[in-house]
Amino acid sequence: MSGSEIMSTLLGSEIRGDILVLFHKNPGLIDTVDGVARRVGRTTIAVISDVRELLQLGVLKQKRIGSAEVVYLDRAKDREILESVANHLKTVRISGEK
Amino acid sequence: MSTTRSKTGASGFDQLFSGKVEQDYRVKTGIVELDEMLRGGFMPGDAVMLAGSAGTGKTTLALQHLVNGVKHGEPGIYVTFEELPDQIYRDAKNFGWDLRKMEEEDKFRVLCTSPSLMLESGSDSLLDDILRDTQPRRLVIDSLSHLEMFVKRDDMRTEAYRIVRYLKTRGVSSLLLWESPQISGSSFSVTDVGLSFLVDCIVALKPVEIESSMRKALVILKMRGSDHDKRLREYEITSSGIKIESAFTNYEGIISGSPRKVASEKIMELFRGASEKPKKA
Repeated sequence: MSGSEIMSTLLGSEIRGDILVLFHKNPGLIDTVDGVARRVGRTTIAVISDVRELLQLGVLKQKRIGSAEVVYLDRAKDREILESVANHLKTVRISGEK
Repeated sequence: MSTTRSKTGASGFDQLFSGKVEQDYRVKTGIVELDEMLRGGFMPGDAVMLAGSAGTGKTTLALQHLVNGVKHGEPGIYVTFEELPDQIYRDAKNFGWDLRKMEEEDKFRVLCTSPSLMLESGSDSLLDDILRDTQPRRLVIDSLSHLEMFVKRDDMRTEAYRIVRYLKTRGVSSLLLWESPQISGSSFSVTDVGLSFLVDCIVALKPVEIESSMRKALVILKMRGSDHDKRLREYEITSSGIKIESAFTNYEGIISGSPRKVASEKIMELFRGASEKPKKA
């Protein structure tokens, strides 16, 4: 996925942005989708599709703890994505200056 | 012959065949006066309860213990049910502890989760991955009291026992924070769900009112297998963390909640007062 595609996926919705900020600020967070929804002040129904998007992108990972499904930040993938977004922004800025 | 390494790294086999005999080893808190009170530090692998009411500095002391561990090459994990990590990073920075940097160096991890997930039992524990990745020697749970919201009162002891055993099996020294609204009275108990028997050591923090000002007292109530300082020591939360000061030697009844000067001190004060009276011409 290119830098611009990643950026449009990340910034595609306000809720997705909220979730992303939550995990960025709190990289050690492990919670259920219900828990994540509560932490960003939304309902589970409102966040579920955005959590799915972030799982598909690889920023979030999922695992089973007992009977619960939890999500957490994939720190390595997160760094990788941030780097490609930063590179994309650099390219955009350079081409804008020309 | 090769042995299969456990998922969490520090397996029972590792402990058996590590080849190290660390009989005199103590888990130092890094707070010099507290380590002296503990005769060198906590016993390795022990489960320690740090009990106290809100505002007594439980979180500060726990973080200081982990940060000092990292400084001495002992990775640590801080499990929080209450605050989000960004708040913890910020508060720690006020004491001069850069937790984010320690995380980047893989020496420290903050795990923020719900108590219900901590209690989920299956083939995978919530802590398995993080223990395997970080290989910690120290772990803090802030706080065990939060489990009360998710388990029946009668099951609390069993669940706490399971967590304590899980960590002990992996050779991790744990500091379990406990919110005690009151540690006082002539026959006081630290917890009302009988957890005191599960832990090896209990450190209690207590605010005390003396001469119309609030001061803080620390006491080691119990320490299995070791001598320890039995005195109540005054402490302060300073800009660099917890600082333990002298013992409340001139007062009695601090734990019972009604501190008063000991008789000898009253008499001494009387003499001091008399000697300071201006002489008549």
